[in-house]
Amino acid sequence: MTTISLKNRIPAKISGSLQQLFAFGSLIVILVFFSFASPYFFTTSNLVGILMAATVTGILALGTTFVIIAGGIDLSIGTGMILCGVMTGVFQTYWGWPVWAGVLGAVLFGGLIGFVNGFNISVLGIPPFIATLGMMLVASGLSLVISGTKPIYFKEHPEFQLLMNYSVIPGMRFPLGVLIFLILIVVAAVILAKTILGRYAYSIGSNEAATELSGVNVAKWKIIIYSMAGLFVGIAGVLAASRLSSAQPVGGMGLELEAIAAVVIGGTSLQGGKGSIVGTMIGALIVAVLTNGLRVTAVPQEWQSVVVGCVILVAVYMDILRRKRA
Amino acid sequence: MVSDSLIGAALLEVRGASKSYPGVQALDAMHLDLRHGEVHAVVGENGAGKSTLMKLLSGIDRPDSGEFFLDGQPYTPTNPRHALELGISIIHQELNLMPDLTVAQNIFIGREPRAAGIFLSDRELNRRTRELLERLGLPLKPDDLVGDLTVARQQMVEIAKALSYNARVLIMDEPTAALNETEVQTLFGLIRRFVTPDTGVIYISHRMHELSQISDRVTILRDGRYIDTLDTASSTIAQVISLMVGRAINADQRPRAATGSGDPVLSVKGLNTKALVREVSFEVRKGEILGFAGLMGAGRTEVARALVGADRKNGGTVAVHGREVSISNPADAAKAGIGYLSEDRKRYGILLGRSVRDNVVLASLPKFANSLGFMQDNNVGRAARDFVSKLRIRTPSAGQLVQNLSGGNQQKTVVAKWLIRDCDILIFDEPTRGIDVGAKDEIYALLDELAAEGKAIIMISSDLPEILRMSHRIAVMCQGRLTAILDNADATQENIMHHATRFSAEGTVTT
Amino acid sequence: MNKHIVRAVSAVAIAATVAAGSVGCSSKDETPGNTKPYIALISKGFKHQFWQSVKAGAEQAAKDFDVTVTFEGAQEEGNVEQQIQLLQTVLDKKPSAVGFAAIDSQAAGPLMQQAKNDKIPVIAFDSGVDSDVPVCTASTDNLAAAAEAAKHMAELIGHEGKIAMIVHDQTSVTGVQRRDGFKAYMEKNEPKIKIVDIQYQGDPLKATDVAKAIIAANPDLKGLYGSNEGAAIGVVHAVQELGITGKLKIVGFDSGKDQIDAIKSGLMSGAITQNPYGIGYETVKAAVAITKGQSVAKNIDTGFFWYDKTNIDDPKISKLLYQ
Repeated sequence: MTTISLKNRIPAKISGSLQQLFAFGSLIVILVFFSFASPYFFTTSNLVGILMAATVTGILALGTTFVIIAGGIDLSIGTGMILCGVMTGVFQTYWGWPVWAGVLGAVLFGGLIGFVNGFNISVLGIPPFIATLGMMLVASGLSLVISGTKPIYFKEHPEFQLLMNYSVIPGMRFPLGVLIFLILIVVAAVILAKTILGRYAYSIGSNEAATELSGVNVAKWKIIIYSMAGLFVGIAGVLAASRLSSAQPVGGMGLELEAIAAVVIGGTSLQGGKGSIVGTMIGALIVAVLTNGLRVTAVPQEWQSVVVGCVILVAVYMDILRRKRA
Repeated sequence: MVSDSLIGAALLEVRGASKSYPGVQALDAMHLDLRHGEVHAVVGENGAGKSTLMKLLSGIDRPDSGEFFLDGQPYTPTNPRHALELGISIIHQELNLMPDLTVAQNIFIGREPRAAGIFLSDRELNRRTRELLERLGLPLKPDDLVGDLTVARQQMVEIAKALSYNARVLIMDEPTAALNETEVQTLFGLIRRFVTPDTGVIYISHRMHELSQISDRVTILRDGRYIDTLDTASSTIAQVISLMVGRAINADQRPRAATGSGDPVLSVKGLNTKALVREVSFEVRKGEILGFAGLMGAGRTEVARALVGADRKNGGTVAVHGREVSISNPADAAKAGIGYLSEDRKRYGILLGRSVRDNVVLASLPKFANSLGFMQDNNVGRAARDFVSKLRIRTPSAGQLVQNLSGGNQQKTVVAKWLIRDCDILIFDEPTRGIDVGAKDEIYALLDELAAEGKAIIMISSDLPEILRMSHRIAVMCQGRLTAILDNADATQENIMHHATRFSAEGTVTT
Repeated sequence: MNKHIVRAVSAVAIAATVAAGSVGCSSKDETPGNTKPYIALISKGFKHQFWQSVKAGAEQAAKDFDVTVTFEGAQEEGNVEQQIQLLQTVLDKKPSAVGFAAIDSQAAGPLMQQAKNDKIPVIAFDSGVDSDVPVCTASTDNLAAAAEAAKHMAELIGHEGKIAMIVHDQTSVTGVQRRDGFKAYMEKNEPKIKIVDIQYQGDPLKATDVAKAIIAANPDLKGLYGSNEGAAIGVVHAVQELGITGKLKIVGFDSGKDQIDAIKSGLMSGAITQNPYGIGYETVKAAVAITKGQSVAKNIDTGFFWYDKTNIDDPKISKLLYQ
């Protein structure tokens, strides 16, 4: 509005990080609370367990953050991840590829899923919700078809399970998978904040028409953004398969919503144009810590999703309050 | 206009109203008295406090201090609905209509007539709407879809809706921004019919020449403060403007002579679009401003959008610096050095929620990234600061969000975007729409400078004085065709309108 | 040609192909060799290994008794609506008999009544159907099977200490019975054993995190029970990841490669296997008998077995285990 013209000197950055500060504060509060509630919560092994539980959804959430900032949505990440797990099983066990090739192949396969999503959305003009809903079902079915509804075991490559489970710090059981997750967080944060791709994601999300009229090839960049989200899906699928040392063809439905929940709790707007990787990671950790803490304190499981649901509502409401005040 | 004999106690009075938002004193000890039977204009630059005043009167926000009186009684609206019930209707600049509903459904939204207390009665709804439309003399049908109507007709729906509440005070914010002359006259007719000794209108506008036609008195605001109230009949436009901006502005300037070499930079031949544009051919020379005049819907914006590849062309060639270029999307146009500044800035021009810095480099990000795609933020910051100072964009810093800038500075931000992209050809579509008088002059000066630097400029405008003042040559369009290209020296408002209405079947147009 | 038209035409073409394909398939199913009796089995799911074994048993019986058998299950295990839809479709085909494993007996009530009116005999299998319509039920006695698991757990931990349970879900009959059978045995026979936590999770990845949380919260835990393959795999992986192999006794349910490997390596003490193959076989066998007018027992126990390192390679056991 014109009334808040030049004199409004509250820089946008500060109010944005306020939300993150609030989310981070909530995370600390939850951590402290559970530490008092149970003596077994704040132990190295339980904290590492939380990080492991956050790894797969967290990696999915990283890719989804880009998609949501660009004003899109991706519902295919949960079952897409399962399909990528099956594909790494196919490559390594059925086709006898070496581990590195099987892993790379599955990650690229994830990229392909994302590419198809991006193509359907920006070239065929299918709305993101529908395009990725379709892909969610296709991926779920293909996992079963390709695997013959049976789990695929890595008989030829028992070392594949080390990708997730190898202990990088001797004596501490800090798994390689968690380290990969932490590295991916940094990579995603740098891409979002420091590269042309990140800049276009924000631009497309805040005003797609204006970005297009500025001479940006929006269709191309949307395909790139969805493809990149797909690569994260591929990595998540490989790590999930490695953790169980088997590619389980069933499941994955609902994981996409957990990832989206993490993104939203972290202050990313579903309308696009706003959000950050740090926020998403705080969101993912809040969900993981809550779920773990409620289990450690033996809260009945029925109540666990009630609590997580309420946290999402509160987080989004706080964001709305902040916007009103700003 | 209403004679002085009808003036009694104020219909609506504002006494010492103040309001501040975080970091801004938006309104400071504001005064206003609307008399019975009066059309009272409120003018001021953007940021002068008009919108805040409207928000307070309609109950969207509460004043920090001060009082309102309606017919001498304290008036404290708690929300827009409450204000409506008390007899105060507001028509906002941006229309609040639902395009997928009919005219009748829009007018009676929230108070639909019921049959048997439960079911909606479309027949009753349409009957009441038809009565209302007839009473107001509006050429609308109750069951037309609002989305199918022109902007002018949508505005009529908005007015009918406001009047259907039996409003006593009608507040209109820039009602003529999207209207052509005929439609403006229709609107003024409506306003005159509405005004009775029992009612009044507060009319907010940027268009100075309209004030003398429609208003009785005019209140001037500046920087959130009340400046003065004048009788319209006994004051001049120059007087009002100087009070608004604190200095005099010359409204009858003509452009400097073309400075360029005369080489054509852009040549368009036989441009067609599927819907409207037919065989449009023209050239723009280096250092020249080519004005595009015409009525709303004549196809000027369509020519621009087809030219930059935002819409599909149906034949026609475009040559830049004598070489033919193929443009099928805005990215191609940008590559060929053509930048388009849309009439609808918020939708097509800027990223409201991003910073000035992000906006000005949007069209040229690859220039600011290294080969790995990493942004070189130092260069971005330097370019942004350079252009903020070169174009005199008033912002606390390049990191400020564009939504916090005034319309004129938003427009300059869009200009900066295309200058950083190194465009030789700039197409300005209604460059001063929604921009206040003081800032208009700055945009004009900027256009002159750009032309002097050798840019080729197309300026689409519905404001004839603006066209005459700025353009070296004037292309006139009517119903998708180019009907004339006039040299500035030969052009008058009259002959432009003559060419703009050549194929018109809807009678003559007065100016 | 206009791009939109091309798109529309190709979309229609694809849709038509798919539709034609599915019509082709279903018409094949609908005309099962005119003279043979047709027995339709509707299970709770089809993805899981367990159901594939039931299906194999049913198909063997179809061969042995020369009848036509179809086997279908909900796309997502536990999706009541899908299952009811399948049952409705099958009943409309007027089969000689229907085998049915209800996800939700209440929801199937009206269709059970319809079967009764149409004189289509219903044979309940696996978890059964809570209704008086089915002529008989072919199933594992899950209460007894879970009690057997509890008995072995008690012996393994020396009849005292803390244990916890991960149950695959809290609403299905199998979930409830495998929880209650285990719990009831402990409460009745083992006063010194304390069940400290019961959590519900059947997805192996998520069950891993659940098990880790339980172990973290109870450092002195002596045993963990997983009530189906997914839950048991979760427990095994949790123990592996925490590197505490041997500290905990693990008792599982059903089979699958992961459980079999874990038992062979000693990571898992043992598990209960049902006889899924037998469930399928017995269901079809009972259906054939009924269509011939013979009488059958009300409850057909298809049996269960405890298996561990010592008997896992016994042919009697190994033929019941699926990989």
